[in-house]
Amino acid sequence: MTALARRKDGSPTGIVFNVQRYSLHDGEGIRTLVFLKGCTLRCRWCGNPESQRRKPEIARNVRRCLGIETCSYCTGVCTEGALRLPAAGAPAIDRNNCTACGACAAKCPALALHLYGTRRSASEVLDEVETDWPFYVRSGGGMTLSGGEPLAQEEFALALLREAKRRHIDAAVETCGLVPWETLAAAAELSGAIYFDIKAIDADRHIAWTGGNNRAILSNLERLADAFPRLAVTVRTPVIPGFNDDEAEIGAILSFLARLPSVSFELLPYHRLGSEKYRFLDRRDEMSDQALPTERFDALAAFAAERRRLTGRSSLNVHIAEKSSEIPAAPALLAEPGVAAGYIGALGGC
Amino acid sequence: MTPHDIADIQTLSSQEQRVLNRISGQTDRFRDSHARAFTILDGFEGTRPTIDVERALYFTQSFRQTEGQPLVLRWAKALHHIAENITVSIDDNQLLAGRIGKPGRYGILYPELDGDFLGQAVREMPHRIGAPFGISEQDARIVEAEIAPYWKGRTYHEALNMALPPDIHKFTYDAPEGLVSRFIVNETSSFRSSIQWVHDYEKVLKRGFGDIQREAQARLDALDPLSPRDEVEKKPFLEAVVLVSGAIILWAHRHAALARKLARNESDPRRRQELDDIAGICERVPEHPARTFHEAVQSQWFTQMFSRLEQKTGTIISNGRMDQYFYPYYRADIDAGGITDERVLELIECMWVGMAQFVDLYISPTGGAFNEGYAHWEAVTIGGQTREGRDATNELTYLFLKSKQEFPLHYPDLAARIHSRSPERFLREVAETIKEGSGFPKLINDEEVVPLYVSKGASFGEAYDYAVSGCAEARMPNRDTYTSGGAYINFAAALEMALFDGRMLKFGERRLGAATGDPRSFRSWEEMWNAYLTQQLLFCKTAFTQQYIVCGLRARHFAQPMGSALHDLCMEHCLDLHTPQIPGGINLGYFECIGFGTVVDSLAAIRKLVFEEQRVSMAELIEALRTDFAGQAPLRLLLRSAPCYGNNDPYADEIAREIDRAFLEYSRKYSRELGIHNDIRYVPFTSHVPFGKVVSATPNGRHAFTPLADGSSASHGADVNGPTAILLSNYATKNYGYRERAARLLNIKLTPKCVEGEAGTRKLANFIRTFCDLKLWHVQFNVVNRDTLLAAQREPDKYRNLIVRIAGYSAYFVDLSPDLQNDLIARTAHGSL
Ligand code: SF4
Ligand code: SF4
Repeated sequence: MTALARRKDGSPTGIVFNVQRYSLHDGEGIRTLVFLKGCTLRCRWCGNPESQRRKPEIARNVRRCLGIETCSYCTGVCTEGALRLPAAGAPAIDRNNCTACGACAAKCPALALHLYGTRRSASEVLDEVETDWPFYVRSGGGMTLSGGEPLAQEEFALALLREAKRRHIDAAVETCGLVPWETLAAAAELSGAIYFDIKAIDADRHIAWTGGNNRAILSNLERLADAFPRLAVTVRTPVIPGFNDDEAEIGAILSFLARLPSVSFELLPYHRLGSEKYRFLDRRDEMSDQALPTERFDALAAFAAERRRLTGRSSLNVHIAEKSSEIPAAPALLAEPGVAAGYIGALGGC
Repeated sequence: MTPHDIADIQTLSSQEQRVLNRISGQTDRFRDSHARAFTILDGFEGTRPTIDVERALYFTQSFRQTEGQPLVLRWAKALHHIAENITVSIDDNQLLAGRIGKPGRYGILYPELDGDFLGQAVREMPHRIGAPFGISEQDARIVEAEIAPYWKGRTYHEALNMALPPDIHKFTYDAPEGLVSRFIVNETSSFRSSIQWVHDYEKVLKRGFGDIQREAQARLDALDPLSPRDEVEKKPFLEAVVLVSGAIILWAHRHAALARKLARNESDPRRRQELDDIAGICERVPEHPARTFHEAVQSQWFTQMFSRLEQKTGTIISNGRMDQYFYPYYRADIDAGGITDERVLELIECMWVGMAQFVDLYISPTGGAFNEGYAHWEAVTIGGQTREGRDATNELTYLFLKSKQEFPLHYPDLAARIHSRSPERFLREVAETIKEGSGFPKLINDEEVVPLYVSKGASFGEAYDYAVSGCAEARMPNRDTYTSGGAYINFAAALEMALFDGRMLKFGERRLGAATGDPRSFRSWEEMWNAYLTQQLLFCKTAFTQQYIVCGLRARHFAQPMGSALHDLCMEHCLDLHTPQIPGGINLGYFECIGFGTVVDSLAAIRKLVFEEQRVSMAELIEALRTDFAGQAPLRLLLRSAPCYGNNDPYADEIAREIDRAFLEYSRKYSRELGIHNDIRYVPFTSHVPFGKVVSATPNGRHAFTPLADGSSASHGADVNGPTAILLSNYATKNYGYRERAARLLNIKLTPKCVEGEAGTRKLANFIRTFCDLKLWHVQFNVVNRDTLLAAQREPDKYRNLIVRIAGYSAYFVDLSPDLQNDLIARTAHGSL
């Protein structure tokens, strides 16, 4: 790991691509989600493509661009020659030369250009998070770290958690589980809740679809449940068509969880609400044409509920959750000008 | 999208679900348990109101006879004449007697107020967009022949128009006759004889008008026969109280007689019994103290309806703390086994449907534009604290909430008082009711109101016992003595004048405001700020001067003997409630600022982009405003990207706080000259729409002549950080060190999704606790999907029943003008970001 840049006050810094207040679906109470950039997996269905790479990236929403023929605010801004200005229409980005300095985005009035990821210090981020303390105290809310894989920026993530603790703000972490055990343990030490993704038990399929081996993930979950029996650990499984949308795979996950009595479980419905963001990054959404029928999801939810009941876990019912960030990304809002240009809605950590 | 598509993809509020069910022909699931109220509602829901002229006719007939007599006595005589002659009727299925107009939805006329508009109005009202009324040809002729002519030259509105000095008049009215508002510094005292008011209904229930009449008679008998003051002031007042008490008793007895007659002719034995019961009750109340819950409800109903006959109380008389003053009767009946909760709901819902048929009628076009969708604020207050500062919720509190959840009617307006020790049960039930989606209840915060009222001179007991009144006000029924409507200031016009050296594009080259110089010559932000402040202060002076004149003038035009009879201080001093100064009273007046968010965002954009970052030149900005951003889309968006109020952004919030402070300082210094508290309030009704129509493009990127920001809410779409940031911005921009502040209205629109399920209820309740902690005055919620509103715009027939919250009141969405509908749609909806 490269040496971490620090602010003069000694506060470690990291790359944050969104801070989202008034989140209601990611843990107790009214929460603020902090999205850290960089991920240790590359899931095919990822709803937050902007979260995957560690470095900042420039996004371009052609639909919002006013056209270079009427708007010249980004002309002559790029010193790297990476912003290609056509005679008319939206500029293009040469991603080989772009350093993601953000200069062009700062000039664009239409939010057609937007920088995903800025370097911020832990205390700066907590200053923002802390503004909502009047809501946390009443609702039992706090900060939730999300990503990407927030623990991939290990030192920064832990600094955020420590800073939250110092300010008496409850913290939670959403993780894909593919991180060193020591990091996870340190985070668990500082958190009130962990949201832990388990995508599949089948190792080959897991590698094929996420680019990562699930061995370490599963063992991390076991160790977590073992070492922190009183910590609120919630396992979340996003249901993905063609990957784990059958009783066999969900059943395998439930069998695995049967050994971990302290862990609760949620199924997350599949969506493609982040699809547009692939285009913003000049990438292709491989799963844009895939859908999961509601009936399939409902059937799996019923199946899971029944299985949990049989194993005496009715108190830990299947909770059909939606992550907070899916809500504003609903199609009607994406189209609405003024609602942060459609860039909002980093879609949780899965 | 069709209604069914909407149901498919979105979480719906209960109201949306109900509307969709209705479209597909299903019966309401609460219909059986609220059968009587639904049946009555079916008879008038969605119909266009008609004008009833009887009240105006009898009032005018009496006034012709009493020229030259003391006003309060004339008023009492007029009310007596009305009580003797007005048609009395009892609706089928109703358990309460006392309607004051034709069957269905109706409005009545108050020619003493603005009768000079009447001739024009009766011809125009049926065609008005926003709140049309029908009138029969025969009634229109009565207005033209027997009512309007008498009032020509006698109305309050004409007197005010003539009394305003030219410098004040030019900001107030568009032309010398004063028929059209200029929408810059708007007077509202001619829309109504009194601002919203709450009577001490408890007094009627406990004592009855018979006892009040006896008291007045005894004091009349005891007057000093040699005292000129007793002769001139006290005698007519007390005579008026005797007369008006007799009038309401007489009116009740006419209902009793009618009920007996109807009972005799009734073939259905159940209905016959009901009519006989009604007769018995009307023979007893409001003359005598109420003994049962039913009597208490009837007594209150007669009082509020008679109050509507008495004067136009803008807009509609409020109902006070109903869960408190009805409680003893409820408790006693329940304990004696004489009543059930179902019967209690049936009785109060009979009152709700009665209220819903009375529609407040605004004659002047300006009044209509301010109060779209048949605005009404007959606030029923629930919750809050007792006079001892203990929590006041009781079983009735919960029944009122239950009624709102199950019987979807936007009458009455329901207001819940919240305080730091409001029980969790109460907050959860309030949250559940808000989730229903029709905007009830609105919330008023004891933690802000009570200390503020104590600082303005109330005792703790009085302050704890306040009742919500009208849009967002709070009243202490035996201590408040101020009834004049206040000025509405168009803030955004002050900004425009600062940018165009005292001119506004809408009004051409004529300089209306102060000469503050060409902003293109301003070298610093301070110069810009000072120019703005100069215009703002000129508006303040205009508003206060208007009020100075209004305060002196109104008492010569209006009296309210019944309202005064119910007020301790009026009775003590034998003064009508409209008297400018009543000893011992607290005069809680206010003036209104429209377009707060618009001005804050505009000034923030100028400060940041023109002066600090110099990304936009002042010349460029002025040109863009002049042309309404024609061909300037990039610049417009750049301006919109500046810091905005409502995002908890200290940059914008600091400007907002300074604007607020300037008003407070002005009020602190000059209220004294008026002898009242004339405090700053941010509550727009629907006036931000007409006010927007005179203001050209603004530097926050708002297009010319579109609505301004409403109340203390953010500009349309400007609040992108979610509702927590809105509350914090509101908090950050208040100057808690000043007592010269009054209500602030705050609208928040949520998607049903983000309050879904039990977790959603809990989080909404938590959110309300924080609202209380922050000592904000008011908040109200719309819980609705944007697509539902769009669908209702497209297919109004199907969505006749869709209720939305506007500005301290709820109305049928389809009753609103397209402008206001769009305004509602444009308010940012907050999902759980
Ligand atoms: S982010 Fe910087 S380097 Fe990349 S295109 Fe914009 S200005 Fe050029
Ligand atoms: S500044 Fe933005 S809107 Fe303007 S041309 Fe460049 S990308 Fe398009």
